[in-house]
Amino acid sequence: MNITLTLNGQETQLEVEPFETLLAALRSHGMVSVRYGSDTGETGASAVLVDGRLVNTDCMLAAQADGHEVMTLEALNQAEMHPIQAAFVATGALQSGYSAPAMILGTLALLKDNPSPSEFQVRDMLSGILDRETAYVKPVEAILRAATLMRGENPEPFQTMIVDPLTDGKSPAEVDPNDRPPQAPPAIPRIVPSDDVPDMSVVGKAEIKVDAIKLVKGNPAFTDDFEARGQLVAKVLRSPHAHANIVDIDDSAAVALPGVHAVIHYKNLPRIKYASGGQSWPNPHPYDQVSFDNKVRHVGDRVAAVAAETLDIAEEALRLIRVDYEVLPAVFDELDAIADGAPIIHDEADTEGIHNRDRNIVVHIGAQRGDVEDRLAQAEHVYEQTFRVHQVQPCPIENHISVAWLDSDERLVVRTATQVPFHVRRMLAPVVGMEIKNIRVIKPRIGGGFGAKQEMLIEDIVAHLAIKTRRPVKLELTREEEFMSSRTRHPQTITYTTGVDADGNLLAQDMRLIGNTGPFGTHASTVQTVAGLRGLTSYNAKSKRFDCDVAYANIPVPGAYRGYGAPQAEFALEAHMEDIAHDLDRDPIEFKRQNWVKVGDELDIAPHLGERAVAEGEMDEYPKVMTSGIDECVAQGQRSIGWHRRNDPSWTSPSDRPNIRRGLGFAFCMHGTSIPFLDMGGCSIKLNDDGSFNMLIGATDLGTGADTVIGQIAAEVLGVPLDDIKVYSSDTDITPFDTGAYASSTTYISGTAAKLAAEKVRKRIKERAAMLLDVEVPCTIELRDKKAWSADGRSVTLEEIALDSLHWQDQEQIMDTASYVSPDCPPPFAAQFAEIEVDIETGEVTVVKLVMAVDCGVAINPVTASGQVEGGMMQALGYAHCEEYALDEEGRMVNAKLGPYKIYRADEMPDTEVFLVQTMEDSGPFGAKAVAEIPKDGVAPALRNAIRNATGVGINDLPFTPERVWQALDGSGAVSPDPT
Amino acid sequence: MPSVLAYHRPTSLVEAGELLKDVNRWALGGGTIVVPEARKHREVGIEVVDLQGLGLDQISNEEGVMRIGSMVRLSDLVANTAAPELVRNAARRELPSALRNAATIGGTVAEAESESLLVAALLVHEAEVRLHDQPSLSLDQYLTGERDGLVTAITVKTAGRGAISSTGRTPADVPIVAAVALSTGGVTRLALTGVGATPSLVDPVDPLANLDPPEDFRGTSEYRRHLAKVLSARAVLAAAGGESNA
Repeated sequence: MNITLTLNGQETQLEVEPFETLLAALRSHGMVSVRYGSDTGETGASAVLVDGRLVNTDCMLAAQADGHEVMTLEALNQAEMHPIQAAFVATGALQSGYSAPAMILGTLALLKDNPSPSEFQVRDMLSGILDRETAYVKPVEAILRAATLMRGENPEPFQTMIVDPLTDGKSPAEVDPNDRPPQAPPAIPRIVPSDDVPDMSVVGKAEIKVDAIKLVKGNPAFTDDFEARGQLVAKVLRSPHAHANIVDIDDSAAVALPGVHAVIHYKNLPRIKYASGGQSWPNPHPYDQVSFDNKVRHVGDRVAAVAAETLDIAEEALRLIRVDYEVLPAVFDELDAIADGAPIIHDEADTEGIHNRDRNIVVHIGAQRGDVEDRLAQAEHVYEQTFRVHQVQPCPIENHISVAWLDSDERLVVRTATQVPFHVRRMLAPVVGMEIKNIRVIKPRIGGGFGAKQEMLIEDIVAHLAIKTRRPVKLELTREEEFMSSRTRHPQTITYTTGVDADGNLLAQDMRLIGNTGPFGTHASTVQTVAGLRGLTSYNAKSKRFDCDVAYANIPVPGAYRGYGAPQAEFALEAHMEDIAHDLDRDPIEFKRQNWVKVGDELDIAPHLGERAVAEGEMDEYPKVMTSGIDECVAQGQRSIGWHRRNDPSWTSPSDRPNIRRGLGFAFCMHGTSIPFLDMGGCSIKLNDDGSFNMLIGATDLGTGADTVIGQIAAEVLGVPLDDIKVYSSDTDITPFDTGAYASSTTYISGTAAKLAAEKVRKRIKERAAMLLDVEVPCTIELRDKKAWSADGRSVTLEEIALDSLHWQDQEQIMDTASYVSPDCPPPFAAQFAEIEVDIETGEVTVVKLVMAVDCGVAINPVTASGQVEGGMMQALGYAHCEEYALDEEGRMVNAKLGPYKIYRADEMPDTEVFLVQTMEDSGPFGAKAVAEIPKDGVAPALRNAIRNATGVGINDLPFTPERVWQALDGSGAVSPDPT
Repeated sequence: MPSVLAYHRPTSLVEAGELLKDVNRWALGGGTIVVPEARKHREVGIEVVDLQGLGLDQISNEEGVMRIGSMVRLSDLVANTAAPELVRNAARRELPSALRNAATIGGTVAEAESESLLVAALLVHEAEVRLHDQPSLSLDQYLTGERDGLVTAITVKTAGRGAISSTGRTPADVPIVAAVALSTGGVTRLALTGVGATPSLVDPVDPLANLDPPEDFRGTSEYRRHLAKVLSARAVLAAAGGESNA
């Protein structure tokens, strides 16, 4: 049918199908700023203005728009940015920018009706656009600033706020209850400076992101924004059963459907075993997957895939595939899965390396320091507690999407939303029967990953289909598929046994963990290893033991999710330590402080856990903590949250609200920075005619700001503004290798590679400058302000050096390459605080405020760093409070939709405040440690401990949904640990 | 077979009524319910009848009764300062912004999800459902019936002081259970969400009578009964002039 609409001011005729959504029609008309996130309007990524109203185009038919005015972000595409776009850029409101077009259009509509909106009205407008990255903190600030700009006023420049330290940086300090923290909008990064950090030109500055223009204008940048001629659409047939053998598949009707080009399944593809986790070579065993198996192991598991001319034909073809299942008993809980008589999930003969196939134990992990039993026997007090943590999902707003094609040399090219392009290339090669040299993987802009994309999840499917059809093939998961078939956080059952002496010193800490890796072991070994590492590193027990089994089960597949085992472990640990403190009648922070690791302390179990673990006798010297700002973090957090109120009954039990109890909670957080001796990143830099540089990095920016931060590091070395570093990242044909975006490694590892490459280039520039300036000792030359300066104050511009070296004398391309792998893993530290209210009649918990003070060394870019903390805290809040996979008795997820699966919206966020406490970590680039994952670690235990402060009841299962809390209060659940 | 086989945009109620006599033709309001739902009907395929051309998007107010056309968007209801505060508040909480800008009151009432605050607010405001070519029904009757007519408008009595008491996982969550109360001249009406197939009116004095809530992962039947008791008492008190949280 033919429709006519006014599209961005132009009368436009479109030929559409009756079933076609406005989203599909606009995107196929080239309006790529309109983004797919769901089919029900639940994400808001697809929203545009129809007759001036912000509406979702994924749940609107194109035909409904006939006769109406439609405006997409493309309407604003002028050379100059619109003030709203300028405000989004200036405030760091863009992380991945995937939903920025919808937010900007919503702002446009809001400000047209209301030039001076309140924060409530701004948040209400944003309520329909879910954001998994910013916690809405900086978008709200951007919109309020945009309003100011559009009213013709000049807002203060958006910059960091310096907060005076409350400690000497080495020891704790008492916080004066009457001392209030300096006030500023929450989006402003609060920096607590350290005297150890020198002043720098580009590093430490709130630089604009290098990808800001493409993101804020909605320019083609994401995987789906470039469409090859003749591109086919793939769809996957998924299992309705949690556990079944496929007796037969009949694809004849699907193959015969006009427009279908290929149907693939176990009967027509070779059986190549692999593990899908995006990890360094050699991937940890077992290799328990094949592209298409004759057995399904969870609801949503792959059965077959088709490639067809259109999405509609592909969906119709799926309906025509006949599958004969032999349904098997299924098991979902990790404790049930390893019990006698449980169904065996991997009974196939060709999977090697399963620890105990008959008991569904994928892997057993053990590590020990000292004699735990002996120390427990000596302890004055012994505490044992068991915790259960649940299954949640990263929920990037951009679902998994991949496009594959054969290029003109008939090499396979895969453009894909991945965190690990180099791993994908290497892992894909054997699965599709090609050599690595004949595969190119390109990572464009990515709409968030958070671990879900640290996986070869769908790349093999599009590759198989592209090879079979010799046409480009695209596969984009629906939101429901993202829930059912992408990756999730491992559920775990964790038991801590801790021995404490009469003075409150930890003598022994034993951690028994049963992990649930679902049907496949993709990250089974590594996530659970990190849980052990993080669960036994924070505190200085004299002896420690980690004993872990990881179980197969028939749930949607767990894998990597930002935090990677730490959020589970630190929830259990910080709850356990809190309860011990109460039992010993100690202040929780003081008790924890007495025992937590400090500068100079050995990280003694770390070397015995992990992919390069060594035995206890093999260690000459244990790694040590070299920097820690935790005391300052605690003090800043205490002041910000009003910590003194926790023991004031008139505050905890407000007399005018008899059903309300208030509470404050704290958690000590510690994470790692990269995987030592394993994570590696490369960088190459070349000088251009005008004195600018091209920088190629393998590092994988998912919206985190990695390209920007690494660019800032190079710019600092080379004495140029960030705009003179043109960053291109993550293309396996072009850029150097990088392990990828995970393990909190990018700034530290890839950033150091960039620093080293820039230093090599700088050395050569100095040598060329010395020639031009007639200076004998090149190392006396300094680079700054785009010039090379001699000690006597003469200078030559980088442009002059470039032109000379490229065109004039002794011609050469000044360029160099470096890579970096670290022997160290310096821990960032943080203090997480939470303020909550509990309705003791209903169990409803309301989170009022979250404060995190983080020691991430030197934040290379405080705006992107604080954005990481804000977004991470929001995800962690969902984990603690409201997100959960609900499976029915057959293992079907009953809430595979955002809403029923509850992630926080803009109009319900608690207040947040983020402090970046500087330390100078000498092993990091310009003093940096990691910041990406530590915000995931503390919210759950801080909430739990706040509920305990409010009600006296400690709850040991997540999440803190109303009925769970009500039952705990009603049943007067275990308040304190059981002394044994 | 494609999910939507044909799109119709009738220009008169008579034409719309004729088209909708076929059970495979669905009335289309904003699209937020029908468009996602249609995808699940590939086996048979459906046709949609878009009601946007019928002039059903008007709000009028006369002698204490507000007539809300079935195609009025929830956001228009929120913005209408003449509408009862309770209805505006419930309409705002029903859906987030971009969905609220598309979803219609007619669609919301026809769908009548168990957890709909707006339907509960309409119930206590003594809403009537105006139907094309059929006698009007009280909303209460409509919800317990077949819900098969073409809804043209909802009317509500505008008087009264309202209150909502609810429990959810987060502040903007769809409440697990909500109690919506309205006090008018000493008479209190009370509706509950999350305790039955649709929101329903209950006895403010004995809200648990005949209540057997279905359970799901957010709340067992026992918990929902408990919430119904606690929240009903709070809502009734607030509507009567105590602490109001509408």
